[in-house]
Amino acid sequence: MNRVPNPLIDELAADLAPVAPIRPWHGALLVALSALATVVLVELVDGLWRGIATGAASSIFFIANGMLGLLGVAAAGAVISMASPRVGNRHEGARWSAAMLGLLPLTALLALGAGGFYAAVSSDRYGFECFLAGAGFGLVTATALVLWLRRGAPVSLGAAGLFTGIAAGAIGSFAYGLACPIDTIDHLGIWHVAPVALMGLVGRIAVPPLVRW
Amino acid sequence: MIADEASMAHMMAAAQSGDREMYRVLLGEVQLWLARYFRKRVPPAQLDDLVQEVMMAVHAKRATWDPTRAFYPWLAAIARYRWVDHLRKVYRSAEDELGDHDAAEDSEEEAVMARMSLERLFVHLPDRQVEVIELVKIEGLSIAEAAERTGQSESLVKVNIHRGLKKLSALVEKAE
Repeated sequence: MNRVPNPLIDELAADLAPVAPIRPWHGALLVALSALATVVLVELVDGLWRGIATGAASSIFFIANGMLGLLGVAAAGAVISMASPRVGNRHEGARWSAAMLGLLPLTALLALGAGGFYAAVSSDRYGFECFLAGAGFGLVTATALVLWLRRGAPVSLGAAGLFTGIAAGAIGSFAYGLACPIDTIDHLGIWHVAPVALMGLVGRIAVPPLVRW
Repeated sequence: MIADEASMAHMMAAAQSGDREMYRVLLGEVQLWLARYFRKRVPPAQLDDLVQEVMMAVHAKRATWDPTRAFYPWLAAIARYRWVDHLRKVYRSAEDELGDHDAAEDSEEEAVMARMSLERLFVHLPDRQVEVIELVKIEGLSIAEAAERTGQSESLVKVNIHRGLKKLSALVEKAE
């Protein structure tokens, strides 16, 4: 095929206006601000747990919330890069981080046994509240990421939705985790990880129609 | 010969700044590249439409190219995305023939094209899915004809097309 005159090229060239290219750090800033807003919101609604500063929190508190925070960063990073597509985007960091978080419920299961795990699920009177709050606070990050994707050109809509949900669930659960003083592996490994799974599922289903182009 | 990566990136950066002349040249090169990219995977009668559709997408989404990254992988991702979309929507008419309108390519171009080609997407699909997508979505056979040709039931042909297209969508960025 040779270079043939194409009226479309003239039209598009005539329509050209300068644009500011998408910069990943703009997306990172957006996510950082939304995460910060989420923590402030948690402080206003529930109040952060003061025991964190006084040394009352257990090791698993820092490990679990640290893993949630890192997963939030990794998944949000994948979503940010998806706005500027390219062949070869693989997002392995987010996948491995998500797999790593699975160690928490697995540890709870191995430590408690199937019976103890079931008992922890069914008898934790604060568990469902943490689950709902983690997912709910994740909506701040979800909104920011959907807006970012709508500005961009995601070409893997299913993955974009899944990672948006995972990032939202992880950051929401991380933020609410700073207000939750129950720092046992069974509570954190079940009820603080569940929002990630829920939001991942919701994101996979709900986000693609919102960012299709 | 189509412009190399450095020239395309340079022209795209100028286009993002509003340089219309440079943009016109860039779009000419993009048009040529896309026509080569889609050949053998789109019947000639649909080729122009698809190329123009991708060019409009490039125009609308020109801000999403990050000047710190390469240009062709960005263009290829958009081209793949639109191609999978095209497969979902379009059935080829009986008179369309797949073309082999070859043009001379230099080795560097071939290497770039091969790495990002549409064929790379198909290698990740089971043969039975590739076979029915090619027969129905690219060659234009009916479901019944494809079923007869492949020995699959009509339901299975539909399921394999559906699953194959879904998997292709997931591979747009990932497959190299």
